[in-house]
Parts: sequence; structure tokens; C-alpha cells
Amino acid sequence: MGRDRWSAAGLALLAIGYLFAARRYPLDTLTTPGPGIAPLGSGLALLALAVWLFIVAGSVRPAHAAGGLPEIRVAPTCPTESAPQRPGSRTALLMCGALVLYAGLLPRLGFLGSSVALVVVSSRLMGLEGWWRPAVLALGVTGVAYLLFARWLGVPLP
Amino acid sequence: MSDLFVALTPPNLLACFIGTVLGTVVGVLPGLGPAAAMALVLPLTIKLGPTAGLIMLAGIYYGAMYGGSTTSILVNVPGEAASVVTTIDGYRLARRGRAGAALAVAAIASFVAGTFSVVALQLAAPLVARAALAFGPAEYFAFALLGVVLLANLTGGSRAKSLAMVVLGIMLSTVGMDPLGGTVRFTFDLAGAQAGLSFVAVTAGLFGVAEVLATMADPASTTPVARVRFRELYPNREELRRSVPPMLRGTVLGFLVGLIPGPAATIASFVSYGVEKKISRHRDELGTGAIEGVAGPEAANNAAAGGGMIPLLSLGLPFTPSTAVLLSGMLLMNVTPGPFLLRDHPQVFWGVIGSFYVGNVMLLVLNLPLVGVFARVATVPPRFLMPGVLVLCVVAAYADNNNLFDVWVVVGAGIIGWAMRALGFNPAPLVLGLVLGPVLERAFLQALTIARGEVSGLWASGPAAVMLAAAAVAFVAPAVLALARRSAADPV
Repeated sequence: MGRDRWSAAGLALLAIGYLFAARRYPLDTLTTPGPGIAPLGSGLALLALAVWLFIVAGSVRPAHAAGGLPEIRVAPTCPTESAPQRPGSRTALLMCGALVLYAGLLPRLGFLGSSVALVVVSSRLMGLEGWWRPAVLALGVTGVAYLLFARWLGVPLP
Repeated sequence: MSDLFVALTPPNLLACFIGTVLGTVVGVLPGLGPAAAMALVLPLTIKLGPTAGLIMLAGIYYGAMYGGSTTSILVNVPGEAASVVTTIDGYRLARRGRAGAALAVAAIASFVAGTFSVVALQLAAPLVARAALAFGPAEYFAFALLGVVLLANLTGGSRAKSLAMVVLGIMLSTVGMDPLGGTVRFTFDLAGAQAGLSFVAVTAGLFGVAEVLATMADPASTTPVARVRFRELYPNREELRRSVPPMLRGTVLGFLVGLIPGPAATIASFVSYGVEKKISRHRDELGTGAIEGVAGPEAANNAAAGGGMIPLLSLGLPFTPSTAVLLSGMLLMNVTPGPFLLRDHPQVFWGVIGSFYVGNVMLLVLNLPLVGVFARVATVPPRFLMPGVLVLCVVAAYADNNNLFDVWVVVGAGIIGWAMRALGFNPAPLVLGLVLGPVLERAFLQALTIARGEVSGLWASGPAAVMLAAAAVAFVAPAVLALARRSAADPV
């Protein structure tokens, strides 16, 4: 099964789960429509689109070949073709883990501690060598963000 | 109309200056687009007040259009999607030693088109707003639906994927209180989710955090930037003469395309290039380093940026991620865009429009002599830039509501956004679905209530019927055309 078919299956599962969760919201009547109407409509629409995507996956020609607009990509983003496992993908996955850890530790360590750690980890993962340069970058970035948001804007950072 | 001069007060001039510089830098940097940058500075702009805050946000929006052309010409890397076409001839001109001329023509074309679109915006927006007073829920629903369908058609790539992203955005917009009855939906007993998903957090995640992850997954090699001396910035007489017709054509085309829902600036630049390919006197040179290939598309994408402001200011409906952030900023500052904006907040309305004039002059003055400096920004290694983007994304998302739940939203949106890119899904339609979702839901439910449950009430009025019919045609036409083309290509 190709990448688009897996995506379609994922979207279909998401739609079914969403529709299942939406059962608790009443539809009421068409004269006085209830809060369940929009979730029902959008859930069914996503399910239909997932089926459409599943059917056309593999048979679709590039949009520009069919007279449509070409897919527009701005380097270096939007790798729309197959995403092979490069060493970079592993780095990005590690960064995902670091971000989840950051969100979990933010209330405990506070903004300054956790953000310094995040910048050190992310700059190291991006190839900044040694420790003092990531540390200086982390202190600079976190300090500027703190001054801007906490001192100037008065945002009560955790 | 005298409120137009509000833009000339020192705080607003400063806000405009900071916005245009920031926008130019963002346009120069590949990847990080104007929508993400606007979302990141949204908490800062709220502190400035509605007029100065929105002037700064708008400055980032059109500044990015200017900046995007710089790296297209010098490095062959477009800063944002609307500048993709400029690389074709712009980079070839740079390789022939005419980088300065190409940059100058791009800046002049952007200035001419930007100024034209502001004049047209100034004239058209109040008229559209007046006409929009006749819009009821059924017309709003039909217009938003038409926008969604056109958006999916024009985003590029798979229509099914674009529509799925719009619907996913609408589904995400149902988290929190429903817009009419106040019923809390899909919060799963999380107190932080009761106000719904923060638009700033979702945008910062999908465009900012996802960009960092994409850069990590596929690190770009540093490209050498062509050196430009100030004395090389002047295009010669022949180049100027050849630039004028495509510049004017691109300006008018771009403004008209800007009125259509969708990624107007990008489409406008492609349409302009296509037109030049067909009608330009020097069409044979296009693709080999013709100045027409820079002047037309650059004028078109800047004019489209102005055109895209009309549905936002007059109807309160955004159709690009950047105007969606502007809408979000307006709502956070208690300014409701739409037919009553001009009546309720004339200083904001005219102040923002006035700032467009000032901003265009600032951008021309900045872009000509400082082009080399902006080009250098593009060479800042991501390992220094991206960690800062991460922290800013998180703080901006948190500062929106002082809510730790939004930190989880920005992280989640970032990871999902990266996965979406890898799977070939464009995040822009999702953001627009998130913004248009409550508009569609409210308008649909109100229209049904007004029509006493009769579904036909949705198309009872002429304008609503026309727009719904247009949406149906736009939905079906691409499939029919593709079938017709296939059967013409493979006659049995």
C-alpha cells in the first residue's frame, strides 16, 4: 500500500474517531439546530474525502500534467515526494522527543531553565559543536525572549 | 478619509518601519513565511494597540513579498512561494552579472504594484463593505464555501488532500465552545481546551516548529550569495523600457487575482509569467534571463497581496494564512473586520491603508541600498537561527492566553505539521479551515434558523444561489476537465 493510501486510511480512522466522539452532542432539529450538526457534517466530509483519496491514490497524475497548477515548493521545505529515512530524519525525531519533554518539564523547571536546555539541545542537534557556543546562544535567546515577553509585555511566564 | 494621515504619527511610522524590515528579513529567509512571523509577533503587537499593532502586522505581510525576491535572484532559493517564478529569469540575470538590475527592477515593480493595489484597495474596500451590508448568514455561508472550494482547487497538488486539510481545520475549530449555544465540545475535560485551540499556537506550530523539524530532517547546504555593489543597482535604459509593460500587466492581473480566494500572490506570479510567455515581445528570451520574467511576476505578487486585503477588511473573511493571522490579530484587539469596520474603527481602517503607502516607500528605500545586507541574512546558518525560532514559537503560543495547554498545542501542531509535509499535505488549507470553520458553522446554523429549518433557505437569495452554483461548478469542473482531456488523449 502506497504512502497516500496509508494517509487516507489514517484520515478515515481520524474521521471515525471524531464522529464517535461527536455522538454525545445533540443534533436537535433543523429549525433549532444543535451543537452536533457541524461535527457530524465535517466528520462525514473527512470520511468521504479519505475514501476519495484512497481511490485516487496511485492513479493521480501530477497536477500540472492535468492542466492544473504545479505543486509549489519553497526550498528547503515541503518534501512532498517519498521521505526516505535520512540521518536528518533521526535528528528531527530526536527533536520531537525533546519538544515533548520540554512541554512536560516547563511547569516544573520554569521557562528559563527549560528553554535554555531546549536551545542547547536543538542547536547541538543542528550541528553546533562544542558546549560554550550552544550555551551562549541559549542564554542569549532565552534572555531576549524573557526580557521581551516577561518584562516588557508582562506575560507571567511559568 | 483624514484618518489616512494617522499612519504618519511617529508611533505608527515606527511600527510600519519595524514591520517592513521584519517582513523583508522573513521574506529573505527560506522557509519561515510571513504567516509564522506574524503569529510570533502577535503578542507584541497587542501591546502596541490596534492601529500600530495592525500596521506592524501588515508591514510584515507585504514586506515579505518584497524580501522574497532577493534570494530568488541572488541564490536561486525563493524566500516564499510567491517568488518561485522570479528564480527562473532572476537567477539567470544574476549569473550574467545583472543581479543589481534584476533586484532594482523587482523593487520598482513591487513598489508600483503595491502602490496601485493600495489605491484600488482604498477605493474598493468601502464599496465592497457597503455591498456586504446586504449579506445575511446564507450569503456568508455561500461565499465562505466558495472560497474553500476555490482554495482547494488553487493550492496546487492533490485536491483531495487540500480539501481534507480544510475539513480537518474545520474539525479542529469545533474544539471548545460552539459559536451559537456555548456547548463545550471535544475538550475531554481539559480546562485549557475550553477556549478552543489557540490560532497562534496552531499557526506557530504548523509553520514555525514544523519548519525547524523539516530543516533538521533535510539540512540545506549553504549557497553562495552573488555579490552586489551599489553602483550595479541601476538597470540600463533598455532594461527599464522592457520592464514597464510587464510591470503594468502584472499589476492589474495581480490585483484581480488577489480578489479570488486562495494563495493569490503565488497564483498571480504564475499567471503573470504565463501571460508574458504568450504576449511579450521578448517571449523567446523568457527562461534565459529576461527582465520581463522578473518585472511581471514581482508586480503581480505584490498587487495580489493588496487585493487579498479586500475580502478581509470588507467581509471579515481571510483566504490566505497571512490574512488569517491579521484577522486573528484584529479580533484579539477587539476590532471586528467586516462591513462595520469603517464605521466602528475608521482610524484602524484608514490607518492601515495609509501605512501601505508609507510602507511601500520605506520598502523601496530599504530594498535598493540594503539589498546586499538582506541577502547576507539568508546565509545565517540554521543552527543559529532555528533554536531561537523554537523558543519564540513556544513563548508566542503561551503568551496568547497564558495557558500551558497552548504549549502542548504548539508542540503537537509542529510535529503533525512536519509529518504532513513529509506526506505531501499542505498545512495552509488547514489553518484557513480553522479560521473559516466558526464562520461557516455560525452562518449555516443561523441561515437554517432564519429559514425555519428549510434547507432551501441557503440558496433562496440570488447572490447566495449564484455563489453556491459557482462553488458546485468549481468542485466538479476540474474532474470533468481532466476526464475530457484523458478521453481526448486516449481515443478508443
